[in-house]
Amino acid sequence: MLGEERRTEGTALTQPASGRLASPDIRDEFGLETIDMNMGPQHPAMHGLLRLILELDGETVVRCDPVMGYLHRSKEKISENRMYPAVIPITDRIDYMNNMAMEYGYCLAVEKLLDVEIPPRADAIRALMNEFSRIMSHIPSLGFLLLELGAFTPILYAFRERERIQSIMEEVTGARMMFHYIRLGGVKADLPEGMPEKMWEYIEGLESRLQPDFIDLIEGNEIFIARTRGVGKITPEKAVEMGLTGVPLRCTGVEFDVRKHYPYGWYENLDFDVVTDQAGDVEASYRCRIGEVRQSIRMIKQILQSLPEGEVMGDMGRRIRPTEGDGIGRVESARGEYAVHVVSDGSDTPYRVHYRTPCTVNMQLLQEIVPGHYLPDIMPIMGLIDPVSGAWDK
Amino acid sequence: MAVTLPEGNLETRLSRYLDGFNGRHGIEDSSVEGNLVLVVVKPGDLPAVLTTARETLGILHLSFITVVDRRGSFELTYELLDLRGAQVRVKTTIEGEEPVIGSVTGIYPTANWHEREAYDMFGVAFKGHPDLRRLYMWQDHFDHHPLLKSFEISTRRTFEGLR
Repeated sequence: MLGEERRTEGTALTQPASGRLASPDIRDEFGLETIDMNMGPQHPAMHGLLRLILELDGETVVRCDPVMGYLHRSKEKISENRMYPAVIPITDRIDYMNNMAMEYGYCLAVEKLLDVEIPPRADAIRALMNEFSRIMSHIPSLGFLLLELGAFTPILYAFRERERIQSIMEEVTGARMMFHYIRLGGVKADLPEGMPEKMWEYIEGLESRLQPDFIDLIEGNEIFIARTRGVGKITPEKAVEMGLTGVPLRCTGVEFDVRKHYPYGWYENLDFDVVTDQAGDVEASYRCRIGEVRQSIRMIKQILQSLPEGEVMGDMGRRIRPTEGDGIGRVESARGEYAVHVVSDGSDTPYRVHYRTPCTVNMQLLQEIVPGHYLPDIMPIMGLIDPVSGAWDK
Repeated sequence: MAVTLPEGNLETRLSRYLDGFNGRHGIEDSSVEGNLVLVVVKPGDLPAVLTTARETLGILHLSFITVVDRRGSFELTYELLDLRGAQVRVKTTIEGEEPVIGSVTGIYPTANWHEREAYDMFGVAFKGHPDLRRLYMWQDHFDHHPLLKSFEISTRRTFEGLR
């Protein structure tokens, strides 16, 4: 890998962004005009269906206006017209990279309104599957970031890991992506025989592969540093002001993790650190994601070592009719704080369901930080936010 | 780092928040349950109450805004977090079919898209919002607000508005 002195050379592109715009005088003198450009909704490098209306001065972005709604399926309206258990498969389709967290948030919200005891084994399995789901989302997102910078190998390694976790998930839940595994009152089924050993074996292997395949290969790379260091710089004040959560907030140095500060389920019993970084740029978000994968591995090991015995489903009865009122479930998804607000009127369908998806809120950042950057810097910034089409459009 | 996160134990902070809200007028009801401070206010006082929350009490994070169509009135829930274990839920009810309320984008800039979404889905007009456009639905030739209870699910009807 590169030495320390060569790493610092890779900062040629990272001069302050404001210095790149032509001054008004020069603009008048040479008759310079800005041009409007559409990026997306079907751009090959775009993270799904997003359209950006860009105003460009040469190659520098002056204004960025995201237009959403190309994958809007009105999950909230659909949820209002279904019985409580039938909403869970709908939530699966919100963030299709990290489905477990979506199910978990909804189930927590409804369980606030129900008088039900969740068995400890079900709680532990929920946390276990959530951490696998987080790894399954974080590692490909690193691959996507590098793919957009022109490196093809990391995405292959990332999808190798994702496929292996999907095989584990398939054995446990019966599905490779849309799991429908976490149910009101517990989980669908217990782990199959021999599964904890299998998971342990995989997690040990991942831990040994993480350093050569995802750190040594990427971290010291000169092109990676030149394209990411100082790009998409966010200050902590800005991050808090914009309501960011998840990695975009933590990479600025603000320590906030729902699992730690608003603990739910089995996370109270787990020992883990909140990974933060000070730089607040794309490179810092990469380091944060790697750190979070390490913490997830640590949590999975803890859960597997002390997996409680017993039932995996609470006593729910046949008809689910929560009491009237508000139920709010809040979980840390791979992209940030995901909250579900369920309003019940005492019938067997929800009166209103509101999904607070982290992607929608984090995407506001594009309007704020893209202006002043070069056009090709938009892709690394999207890698920082790591949005998912289904999640920002609902 | 200029971001100051709240310190001290949860109980003292919760009672400090409750006292801070009770100290100003316009509060109709307030209570503490678990780690949640619930405040009910009149719609006219909402921006002022959220200013108290942000400036005086230092609650940094607006999590989301939920609108509920109660058939004849609209119930708005503003969920605030202090990022260290306490939740503050501010509720207000707007009477009538055409809801109008003051925008909080000047207090919590993150409310920008939350309010655009509420306008798109329910037609709630936020006074003072810098850029109140639809967020998800078509910008032109679509005059429905899909999450209203009066909007019935039907493919035909959705596309009628587009012709």
